[in-house]
Amino acid sequence: MSLDFRKRGAAALLAGAAALGLLATGCSSGGSAGGDTTTLVAYTGQAGDYQINFNPFSPSRIGALGTIYEPLFFHNKAEVSDPVPLLGTESSWSEDGTVLSVTLREGVKWSDGEAFTADDVVFTFDMIKNNPAINTGGFDGTVAAVDDTHVTLTFAEPSFVRGPDLLNTPIVPEHLWKDVNPAEDVMEQPVGTGAWLLEDFKPQAFTYKANPDYWGGEPAVKQIRFLALSGNQAGADAVAAGTIDWQTGPIPDIQNTNKNFPNYDAYTQAQNQMVLATCSSAEMGCEGPQTDPAVRQALYYAMDRSQINSLAFMDTASDMSPTFALTPSQDSFVSASVAEKTVPMEPDTAEAAELLEAAGWTMGDDGVYAKDGERLSLTIEVVTGWTDYITAVDTITSQAAAAGIEIKSAQSSWNEWTDKKGKGNFQLAIDSLWQGPIADPYYLYGYFFESTSGAKVGEAAGNNYSRYSNPVVDEAMAALVQLPLDDPAARQPYFDAIQAEIVRDMPYIPILTGGTTSVWNTAKFTGWPSDDDLYAFPAVWSAMDAAEIFKQLEPKG
Amino acid sequence: MSYFLRKIGFYAVALWAALTLNFAIPRMLPGNPVDILLAKLQQRGGQITPETRKAYALLLGGDDSQPLWRQYLDYLGNLFQGDLGVSVSYYPAPVSEVIGQSLPWTVVLVGLATVIAAVLGVALGAFVGWKPGTWLDSLIPATTLLAAVPYFWLALLLTYLLARVLGWFPLQGGYDVVLTPGWNPEFIASAIQYGFLPALTIVLASIGGWLLGMRNMMVSTLSEDYILTAEAKGLSPRKILRSYASRNAVLPSVAGFAISLGFVVSGSVITEQVFSYPGIGGRLLGAVSNNDYALMQGLFLFITLAVLGANLVVDLLYGLIDPRTRARS
Repeated sequence: MSLDFRKRGAAALLAGAAALGLLATGCSSGGSAGGDTTTLVAYTGQAGDYQINFNPFSPSRIGALGTIYEPLFFHNKAEVSDPVPLLGTESSWSEDGTVLSVTLREGVKWSDGEAFTADDVVFTFDMIKNNPAINTGGFDGTVAAVDDTHVTLTFAEPSFVRGPDLLNTPIVPEHLWKDVNPAEDVMEQPVGTGAWLLEDFKPQAFTYKANPDYWGGEPAVKQIRFLALSGNQAGADAVAAGTIDWQTGPIPDIQNTNKNFPNYDAYTQAQNQMVLATCSSAEMGCEGPQTDPAVRQALYYAMDRSQINSLAFMDTASDMSPTFALTPSQDSFVSASVAEKTVPMEPDTAEAAELLEAAGWTMGDDGVYAKDGERLSLTIEVVTGWTDYITAVDTITSQAAAAGIEIKSAQSSWNEWTDKKGKGNFQLAIDSLWQGPIADPYYLYGYFFESTSGAKVGEAAGNNYSRYSNPVVDEAMAALVQLPLDDPAARQPYFDAIQAEIVRDMPYIPILTGGTTSVWNTAKFTGWPSDDDLYAFPAVWSAMDAAEIFKQLEPKG
Repeated sequence: MSYFLRKIGFYAVALWAALTLNFAIPRMLPGNPVDILLAKLQQRGGQITPETRKAYALLLGGDDSQPLWRQYLDYLGNLFQGDLGVSVSYYPAPVSEVIGQSLPWTVVLVGLATVIAAVLGVALGAFVGWKPGTWLDSLIPATTLLAAVPYFWLALLLTYLLARVLGWFPLQGGYDVVLTPGWNPEFIASAIQYGFLPALTIVLASIGGWLLGMRNMMVSTLSEDYILTAEAKGLSPRKILRSYASRNAVLPSVAGFAISLGFVVSGSVITEQVFSYPGIGGRLLGAVSNNDYALMQGLFLFITLAVLGANLVVDLLYGLIDPRTRARS
């Protein structure tokens, strides 16, 4: 999706205000939220005030992850690259993938002065294992300290693919956490090893200050303040007024950000693959024409993606591979035998007609295909207020009509839409698929294509709400678990097998890759990620990536 | 006396009905809090694995297994102990804490603005009604125009002019975040400075209604016989305005005022949205979009109690200030 943060209802409603905002660039608005020149003011896109919660394991945390509580390694999901050592310096898997050995950094201190040791790491993993409510990665291994700077994590089965998630686990101090309930304590005074310390908390803002004793040296950004605003519109207004330095979310006329606001620049990273998800499997109880793969293929060819991009996404969306390997960062994973490396940008109604006719559909008198008395009519579910998706659906509707497919759209609230997807009460839904912890398509395949996260219609499905179930894919995924991530030659045959299946079956019909856009103040700080140096995924709400970016920034002047 | 007893009995039944609806309505919403939380995390770049789903279902306690009547009884029981439950979207903060943090902002901002608008509107209305047909009448269309303009548009225009162009007021927020919240003069000064613009928009948008209502009542009261009598007795016009005309004309406005005081607690969702103001309206919006039943129930409870309470007070007060309402009973 081009606008990652879904407050588009308000954005549409208040678009007029933004236009006013654009006119007012030259005028200042008093407001000391900006602070001095070394304070970075960020807005994460959260709507409404903050409720204190600096517990890195809590889903409702407002901060501390990455900035205060550091993981062992930082993994860049924006590019294929080596992990950046943080509390760990080296990690390696045993030959069979059951033992992960990690060497820890020496001389690191918690911000209360205590030394960081292997015991803290052991404690953290044990705590996660013993508290199912925070065990979001399903950690079931055994962790042991070899000596003060070496730990091992042992698993019953090969677990190469879990490495990035494990090494991303924030490490917490044993001496402070041994007596707290890790699921419910909000950690009002977080003590970590990270580059920042919590300075103060207020419901409207919280502030970090630089940790002078940070093991990597005191960071150049001395203060980071996170503001509470009411949503994306307020964020765009704050950019116009110059009161925030970084927000991830849409602003009007994004292509000309630098022209409209000379102090700011916008950067878009293509990260979310937009799809028409289908309730694909008739065996699992899905009903409707979309259970026929030929219909999904025909829709794929019927789309005019250049038109969709310009009408719905202000030309911010980019290419996509039908294999769902992210373009361009994961191009190396695309199978050589896949004919179309990227989705066709122009419609091919002849191809769509051929596919449909081969599958037994015949053109009816009303210009819509039919088979056994059933008209080729489909409904796309879309969330009210997600204006770019609504426009995309309208565009697809007219394009599909040209190919003899009737599309209707149904708008519902986000809650209802989520519910329909989960229970399988839909034909098509416009949505986007998300990526794993590193640049590797294994994770996306596991989330969305493996049958284990599907469910019968009527039961709540996991991520695989298309209910796609294919033994070939499942087998290949099982085989990939056995292989180390850094052995592309051994893994590629399995990726080839998966891609051949999903390109043919197409349970998610690819549209385009949507971008995540950040707007940041280039007059005040340098060192932001760029195309040449994409050292982290640029999104302020992605805590680990934001922490890495904060460390790289330098105040100007 | 039976007048008051009947009133109180009626309000007890209304309260029970409101509490029951309050329990039922959130449960009719589609979706469940775990799905919404996961969908939200996913949009924030989190990786959602089946294990994540399991962990969060555990964390947030999916106690849907209990029969509905049991949940209802627990709900009523907890309510009377003042236990509103734990908010899912701000887990593990209790609902009472979340509400307690936002309520004062809304009550002070919207409450003060409502009082100012009502007092100003009624006073101006009485004055305009006293002299019908003069240039003062032009105040009516001017203020009703402000009331008729969609509120968010008026708020945005004022923000643009006063905050962006002239820079007189801060654009967003409830206070200067550099200061420490508390009863210190700097903080209070900053809260007033930040609250002025939102309050101004509320006053401007609502003053027209008060003015119009009061002025019309004044005009019709002035044609009553007792006004003529008072004039015939030779009372000073000032005395007639205050003791004879205004006192009788203000009655409907008092009733209206009580009802609008009740709605102060529900806040002004749009005001808080436009100004990123800390308050109950933003919380309500968040609670609904996150299927946070406990928080929704807590907020609705406060709103219900405030509206019912305000109405009760006015009903009782009305019995005192307007003897006619008692006479029939």
